[in-house]
Amino acid sequence: MDNAAEITPQAPTQAMIQACDVNVYYGDDHAIRNVNLDIAPKTVTALIGPSGCGKSTFLRCINRMNDTIASCRITGTITLDGQDIYDKSIDVVQLRARVGMVFQKPNPFPKSIYDNVAYGPRIHGLARNHTELDQIVFTSLQKSGLWDEVKDRLDTPGTSLSGGQQQRLCIARTIAVNPEVILMDEPCSALDPIATAVIEELVAELKERFAIVFVTHSMQQAARISQKTAFFYLGEIIEFGDTTQIFTNPRVEKTKDYITGRYG
Amino acid sequence: MSQNHILSSFDDELNDLRAKIVKMGGLVDKQYKNAFIALKTKDQNLAAEVYQADRLVDQLDADIEKQAIQMIALRSPVANDLRDIVSTMKISAGLERIGDYAKNLAKRVKVLSNRETISVSRALIKQMIKQIRSMISDVIDAYISRDIDKAIDVWRRDKEVDSLYNSLFREMLTYMMEKPQYITSATHLLFIAKNIERAGDHATNIAELVYYINEGELLALKRPKDDSSNYMEVDPSDDS
Repeated sequence: MDNAAEITPQAPTQAMIQACDVNVYYGDDHAIRNVNLDIAPKTVTALIGPSGCGKSTFLRCINRMNDTIASCRITGTITLDGQDIYDKSIDVVQLRARVGMVFQKPNPFPKSIYDNVAYGPRIHGLARNHTELDQIVFTSLQKSGLWDEVKDRLDTPGTSLSGGQQQRLCIARTIAVNPEVILMDEPCSALDPIATAVIEELVAELKERFAIVFVTHSMQQAARISQKTAFFYLGEIIEFGDTTQIFTNPRVEKTKDYITGRYG
Repeated sequence: MSQNHILSSFDDELNDLRAKIVKMGGLVDKQYKNAFIALKTKDQNLAAEVYQADRLVDQLDADIEKQAIQMIALRSPVANDLRDIVSTMKISAGLERIGDYAKNLAKRVKVLSNRETISVSRALIKQMIKQIRSMISDVIDAYISRDIDKAIDVWRRDKEVDSLYNSLFREMLTYMMEKPQYITSATHLLFIAKNIERAGDHATNIAELVYYINEGELLALKRPKDDSSNYMEVDPSDDS
């Protein structure tokens, strides 16, 4: 693609995740084409682009969610802290604890609020006793901004919460296992504006500790919450750069047409 | 611009905003044209007309500002759209100021009508007005056609207005020294010239905004300046 040369050069900061010449195929469908992307720690990286452009597919490569799809084939390398995540020695369950994910629709387990958060630490053996587990549940719920709202009803089902609360419960569940990266696939698309603002504020706080990769269809949301933005189109990264630059002066015509709502 | 928005009403609004700027540019141009005729022919009725018509320019500026703010609130524009809308608002404010100077010129026609005119200075004012009118119309053209070369050309021409002003400044000082009866009219003519010189600066600003809309960056050239009147002195004892 002739735009490739115009992609903003990477800043020389140490990347937490490095994607190198990543290609993804679903059978014959070439969904991701030669994607190179560095994801920095303590940064929100937004992935934007029209439906079917590959941003969710790419996101799911980062914690190997695509492994569950039989026809899916991936080439190229993705490293986390320098380690190839597709290496045979990698334990996928461990990987998904290090790279957590929050989905479009809140999907709490059909368990109590407490157990939703305690589930991960239990299976990963992160707590030696009940006190430690209580502590993890408490900190995770507090960091996700949910503690005050649920502290008196930890044994009620997670599904009894409102949509926004459920989404924050899922975030609490994700951070309970001490991840390094949190992948968020349109986490606010099912929420009202207030719940959305609460999640956005939470993302701003979480980025102090985690690398966050955020897929969103709302350009305004990408502009509000991210420091870096990658624009995907037809499986390629058309432009990647500082969010401020992308939204004030995009260098590639296609990016401009997309973010300003013109025909691409 | 190159592509249309998917939401066509957004394009309609942008076009409407641009049409208002064109209308404003035409109005301001006419103000200068009439103000000069009024000055030349000592036509106080025409001067009063110019004075009144400034309201129309102000009204357009207010309309543009209101519409631009609405568009920012409702459309959440980004990238070139945002630059376009914000800059258009500033261009409108610039044209409004340029219009004010024409109004001020008209205001001085009355006092100048009652006095002996200084023909040489009128020729210089005529040239300045010709220059500023062509700058206004060209910069509006550049804005509409997104023509950066044309914008830069206008930007460079400000220097000519400055040097005309310098000549006039020098000349007025000489007149005033020669004949104290000239002081009133010379002072008014000096203000008129200074105002046109300021109008030129605003036209230059507009040219810079046109560049910014297109390029997303500020015009990095050094502004051509030729206004040396700040340092100019004429010594009455000097018999040159």
